[in-house]
Amino acid sequence: MQDSFSGKVAVIQFPGVNCESESVRAVRAAGLESEIFRWNMPPQLLGEALAVILPGGFSYQDRIRAGVVAAKDTIMDKLSDFARDGKPVLGICNGAQVLVEAGFIPGLHWEKIDLALAPNVMSDREGYYCNWVHVRAEGNNCLWMNKYKEGDVIPLPIAHAEGRFVTKDEDIINDMHKNNQIVLRYCTEVGDLDSSFPVNPNGSVENAAGICNPEGNVLAMMPHPERASWLRQVPEDISGKWKTKRRNACCRPEIMEDEGPGLAFFASLIREMTG
Amino acid sequence: MKARAKLWVKLKVTDLVVETAWLTLTEKLEFGDILYGLAKYSCWFMTCEGKNSEVIINALDRVISLDSTFTNQNKHKYSLVVEGEGASSGEDGKEAVLRRGDLQPEKDFPFRAEAGSAGVYACDCMISELESDKDKSYADRLNGKLGGVSVSEMRAGLVWRMIVRADGKDDAAEKVKKMAVTRSRREGLLLNPHYQEFEIISTVNLSKRSRD
Repeated sequence: MQDSFSGKVAVIQFPGVNCESESVRAVRAAGLESEIFRWNMPPQLLGEALAVILPGGFSYQDRIRAGVVAAKDTIMDKLSDFARDGKPVLGICNGAQVLVEAGFIPGLHWEKIDLALAPNVMSDREGYYCNWVHVRAEGNNCLWMNKYKEGDVIPLPIAHAEGRFVTKDEDIINDMHKNNQIVLRYCTEVGDLDSSFPVNPNGSVENAAGICNPEGNVLAMMPHPERASWLRQVPEDISGKWKTKRRNACCRPEIMEDEGPGLAFFASLIREMTG
Repeated sequence: MKARAKLWVKLKVTDLVVETAWLTLTEKLEFGDILYGLAKYSCWFMTCEGKNSEVIINALDRVISLDSTFTNQNKHKYSLVVEGEGASSGEDGKEAVLRRGDLQPEKDFPFRAEAGSAGVYACDCMISELESDKDKSYADRLNGKLGGVSVSEMRAGLVWRMIVRADGKDDAAEKVKKMAVTRSRREGLLLNPHYQEFEIISTVNLSKRSRD
């Protein structure tokens, strides 16, 4: 068991998550130290961490509602303090669901539930949807995205049944706009917004794929950047500029290990730490 | 003729979702002093048309017992009740009903904590999704299979039976709402109001009846 997380990125492993190892590998590939933090380890250890990632999977088997049981866990008390201190917190897929159910996202009223990640709404099917999509980087408000430029189109994989950002309160949408909190939007390969399936793969409001808190240190995103951290993970038939890169890498293993489109989320931390 | 049909489905074995909800409500959210019992059912309430109640319940029973969308006989028990014109009178003579299945939700009050002498109420809290077409999809599924019977209205959802200590029905409803609706990280568990809604569909005063 780790006895110190000082200077490391802690990847919290709740029971039922399944992306903790690949998240640790992606952070290490970006040049930072990272270890798995089991949910029942002493909470004070979390306070030492450089940053915290809540990885994807099915925490507590998605019982009751995806993310809600983990959101009530004792470790979240410590994570709440950690996030309020301005330290970096990233929730990927199920991790995003935990952050929304904990009220860290959108974070307009801390720990109040202003959003949901509801079941996907798709025109020709229902339930779980797994595919590569394109998302567009918006604004420069989020520290997890400071290696991307506004308007960058990023291909990333998604895999979820409950990924539709939704709120009953129109004021929340307006406030998120005002604060530039919708930092990732589903788009076409050339960056155009289209609210219909499959460009918007789950019916998410405002095509939102990732939402950060007003301060920009907490990000909840449904796509999986850790599954797009190496070029070899990008499918050959992806459309857009990454298609050329990926095809040029065929039969050239040294190039296949190059950076993929998602690695910059983790590498952004280094820029944040080093200024 | 028209008839109302109610289908309640419950796992035969321990429902681990209920176990998790119980532990979260009583230990993490500290409702242990007011929550005495918890159970969960999948429910479909519908209006049907057919020649008579007997025809309706037989058609529904045949379909729901074989269609895994509604029940899987390996793991579920169910209660199907049809109320309408032509049904035979119940023993108490109050209500004309026909019944099928091996579940009796009206007698299912699973206490997990000693209730003492305080007022105890069982509230059935139905949770369903806002702006969902699931109800229509269930009705379409049944209508495609029933033959001679049709479903005109459908309401489906999850029903949580919460046994609570309360000073009257209104107090019980208030406590159930507090436990059910997730307002913040420390308040509520069972539904997110941004895409789900809930309604208390019945409240039974258990202080007035035997708890056996």
